[in-house]
Amino acid sequence: MRVPVEWISEYVDIQAPIDELADLLTMAGLEVEEIQAISPDDLARSGGVPDSRDARVMLTKVTPNRGDWLSMIGVAREIAANTGWKFKLPEPQVEGAGADVAGQIKISIADPDLCNRYVGMVIRGVQIKESPTWLKNRLVMAGMRPINNIVDITNYVMLELGQPLHAFDYDLVQGHEIIVRRAKEGEKITSIDQAERELRPDTLVIADAGRAVAIAGVMGGFESEVTHTTTNILLESANFDAVSIRRTSKVLGLVTESSYRFERGVDPEIAALAAPRAAELMAELAGGEIASGMVDVYPGKKEPKKIVVRPERVDALLGEHIDPAAAVSHLIALQIPAEFLDGKIVATAPSFRSDIAIEVDIIEEIARIHGYENILETLPSFPLQGKDSDAGLFVEELRQAMMAAGMQEVLTHSVVDPVSVELSGYGEKILPLKNPLSEDVSRMRPMLAPNLLQVITRNQAVGAKDISIFEIGKVYRRTDTGGIYEYRSAAGAMVGSQWASAWSINRDTLAADFFLTKGALIGALTRIGVKNITVEPAEHPLLHPTRSARVLVDGEEIGILGEASPEAREKLDLRGRPCVFEFDVEKLMGLVPVTVGYKQLPRFPAIHRHIGVVLKRDLPYVDVLGNIRQSGGEIIEGVELLDVYTGSQVGADEKSFTLSLVFRSPERTLTDDEVNGVLESVKTRLASTFEASFRG
Amino acid sequence: MAEFEAITSLEAEAAGKVAASGSIKELDDLDVEFLGRKGKVTLLLRSISEQPADQRPAFGGRVNLAKNNIAAMIVDRRESLGTGESKARLVAEAIDVTMPGRFYDVGRPHVLVETMAQIKRIFIGLGYEIVESPEIEEYRYNFEALNYPEEHPAMDEQMSFYITDKNLLRTQTTAVQKRIMDQRKPPLRICTLGKCFRYEAVDATHGHTFHQVDCFAVDEHITMADLKGTLAQFCHEMFGPDTRVRFRPDFFPFVEPGVEIAASIGGGRWLELGGAGMIHPNVLAACGIDSNKYSGFAFGLGIDRTPMIKHGIDDLRLFMENDLRFLRQF
Repeated sequence: MRVPVEWISEYVDIQAPIDELADLLTMAGLEVEEIQAISPDDLARSGGVPDSRDARVMLTKVTPNRGDWLSMIGVAREIAANTGWKFKLPEPQVEGAGADVAGQIKISIADPDLCNRYVGMVIRGVQIKESPTWLKNRLVMAGMRPINNIVDITNYVMLELGQPLHAFDYDLVQGHEIIVRRAKEGEKITSIDQAERELRPDTLVIADAGRAVAIAGVMGGFESEVTHTTTNILLESANFDAVSIRRTSKVLGLVTESSYRFERGVDPEIAALAAPRAAELMAELAGGEIASGMVDVYPGKKEPKKIVVRPERVDALLGEHIDPAAAVSHLIALQIPAEFLDGKIVATAPSFRSDIAIEVDIIEEIARIHGYENILETLPSFPLQGKDSDAGLFVEELRQAMMAAGMQEVLTHSVVDPVSVELSGYGEKILPLKNPLSEDVSRMRPMLAPNLLQVITRNQAVGAKDISIFEIGKVYRRTDTGGIYEYRSAAGAMVGSQWASAWSINRDTLAADFFLTKGALIGALTRIGVKNITVEPAEHPLLHPTRSARVLVDGEEIGILGEASPEAREKLDLRGRPCVFEFDVEKLMGLVPVTVGYKQLPRFPAIHRHIGVVLKRDLPYVDVLGNIRQSGGEIIEGVELLDVYTGSQVGADEKSFTLSLVFRSPERTLTDDEVNGVLESVKTRLASTFEASFRG
Repeated sequence: MAEFEAITSLEAEAAGKVAASGSIKELDDLDVEFLGRKGKVTLLLRSISEQPADQRPAFGGRVNLAKNNIAAMIVDRRESLGTGESKARLVAEAIDVTMPGRFYDVGRPHVLVETMAQIKRIFIGLGYEIVESPEIEEYRYNFEALNYPEEHPAMDEQMSFYITDKNLLRTQTTAVQKRIMDQRKPPLRICTLGKCFRYEAVDATHGHTFHQVDCFAVDEHITMADLKGTLAQFCHEMFGPDTRVRFRPDFFPFVEPGVEIAASIGGGRWLELGGAGMIHPNVLAACGIDSNKYSGFAFGLGIDRTPMIKHGIDDLRLFMENDLRFLRQF
């Protein structure tokens, strides 16, 4: 709220520089975000008239629970409570000269659940004109535009006391009757902004004998508004239900100074002060004659609530002893009536503090005036063992392993654009937002890999060539049964060369291709103790159909690996041929052996043999490997691929593997003859199974 | 003593030749010439029978001394010749150590993820158990259980993305509270952290996605002083031992009293860290915890601003744009 300094000085005797006052309010919970000095030009531009008064305004940020801070007297009251400076409320002097108001208007509340109170007054013979300078300037500095003296007065009193008011043209209110009721089915109203609005049946309206004349607490009606020909005023000072006003405001998309205040709670008692205050000003500034008395329909009147506060509870919650007498005086400073009786503090919630309902609410008020800067700093006394979650521990280990495998960690958005999610192939399992900010931020990511590819695109656009990245994070999908589920996933992506800065080495020697990506993945998984990893050909919508695979651990599929499909490369505007992998972290977690299973170091020497074997080109390496292991038996310790060759030295549909075989026995030193014998049977078996031939 | 002079002159001859030798090969030849089986020293020794009987022991001793002297000369010379030869070889092998190293780029952590890891370590050290909590949250955990009335202006600060009418992207990690307190009873010291989402337009200091850490402690005798002390301890670890913590009254439906927390970051400036307070009795009651016996505190801290302040980063969007030129600075 905008709080002109000159204005609140009317209610509290300010005895400190304004920046100190601002700090004080901020530390009391009413944050002063800025102190503005309004220039004469700005004042004039908004309808004010520059004069010699203080033109500084405090911009406050009001928390949603403190509707009472949305008025000058509310701010003044808070200042007084924190300083002890003298506070005073306006005391309107109303000389009811005209005939009794009771004979001039009839007011009834048909729906008292939504209207606590309705106060009506009548002022006759007003002259509509401009407001005086002081009033216009105060309104402008508080952020409102002057209209005419009557409307300005209703706004002025609202800002002063926090009570939204409405002035009807008395002669345009049919039957001089006010009925507060819910709207009728299909009922319409043209509000003062001249928009015709259809009302929902749960909307509270102010009606006269014939029609709705105002949307209660939100906006008045065009047909009964004050115009330059108006002479008689029906003044409304009412109290409406906060929830109802909030709903209406949301449904109509209409937030006004009035609805804003009602949503945050308006003091029902202030209605009977605000009406005469406005009437007084109308008599003074518009030459009106005030009808005697007011009509006050008050079905929602409540007895002030007594709240019992245990001093020991105050101490237990704040962590230090607060003298009950001091606590009582803090409350009284806040105009919360309180006394210390039979070992208890008994406080009465004032009508202007709708946020105070229970013991802790009063304890907060005591603490606020006591000062949070005076609260001690201690630690909870009972020791507990701190620990990470199982998932947290696993993810941290995985993260370190990915970095060790040369990948840079990235962090991408969970809510993404439709193009990247469609590449995932999850179709119906993709979760869209019901209320996206924009199409670019409209889907929950079902996979991480498309995000990583987009990171590559973005970096390629600024000149990066060699990129190797990973992310561990949540992905979100509909389950097979239609439920909503989030999975923890890990993904990596690479393009360019891993030898980013290696002079004299051909960059292609370590091109970030399928095999480098596979190597990094297997390296990272092995590092965290994963065993029995297999990779077999499989297609995936994101991947190149003949350069893609699934990854299994103990025979269970955990993820995918492959080169980005030509379609993905085109749609995501990628250069080169990026490769990706992605796997389900939770699934993997369940497959990592708890213990390592140590193997004794070998005690006997190994014997190495190289073979060159020519095979059909489409024969998978893993089949060759399996065949060798089977025929070689126990003494085959390892098989290593040294080279693969295709070209003129072999047939067009052939390839040649150069393999290094390692033989070793755990029990004895092998002889050459023994090894040669086994090697021969390995060759024989390869030849008979795969029609293999041998080179060199 | 003519015979003894012969020994002395032989020594002198050997010394001259050894000193003049220029290679290991020449030295090997000198070794044979003087000390070999038919060498000059050996022949001299054999002439001992030609000496008068009384002088034979002295003569023998003198010749042996000469033999040792010459052998020592050859060893010394061999050493100095050898060192010179290998030194030349090493000089020829010189490399330029100032040329760049060759290795693949080492993977680095993302600065924000690393900050979260650091925050975790601090709270684990303070006795908190890290728990996982979903990002797609149920309305009831995100709002109802946290004492948000259905239609309340407090909801204006928590504009949400919805997946269905009941499921939304959590607006605050505080949503974890009822999930835990429904399952477990005090004493509790719980921490969770991660992504939160709010329906807000993106600029340099706001995003629709941000990161939060939320801790709560419930036990007998938990006080607001414990809250302040815990946050002070956290700030000392995170920002340095001179950091001070400031409480300012604020409003969050799930705490009472409620405060905004700020940390001093030098130059009289305060960094707003987030919200905190004593857990509202309504929240405890909704989880079946007796608020007369137990009390608790809770706080939720924004994470993104921490590395911004530490490293002077001026735009929040950099964190999730993932420009490698940015990420590799950390």
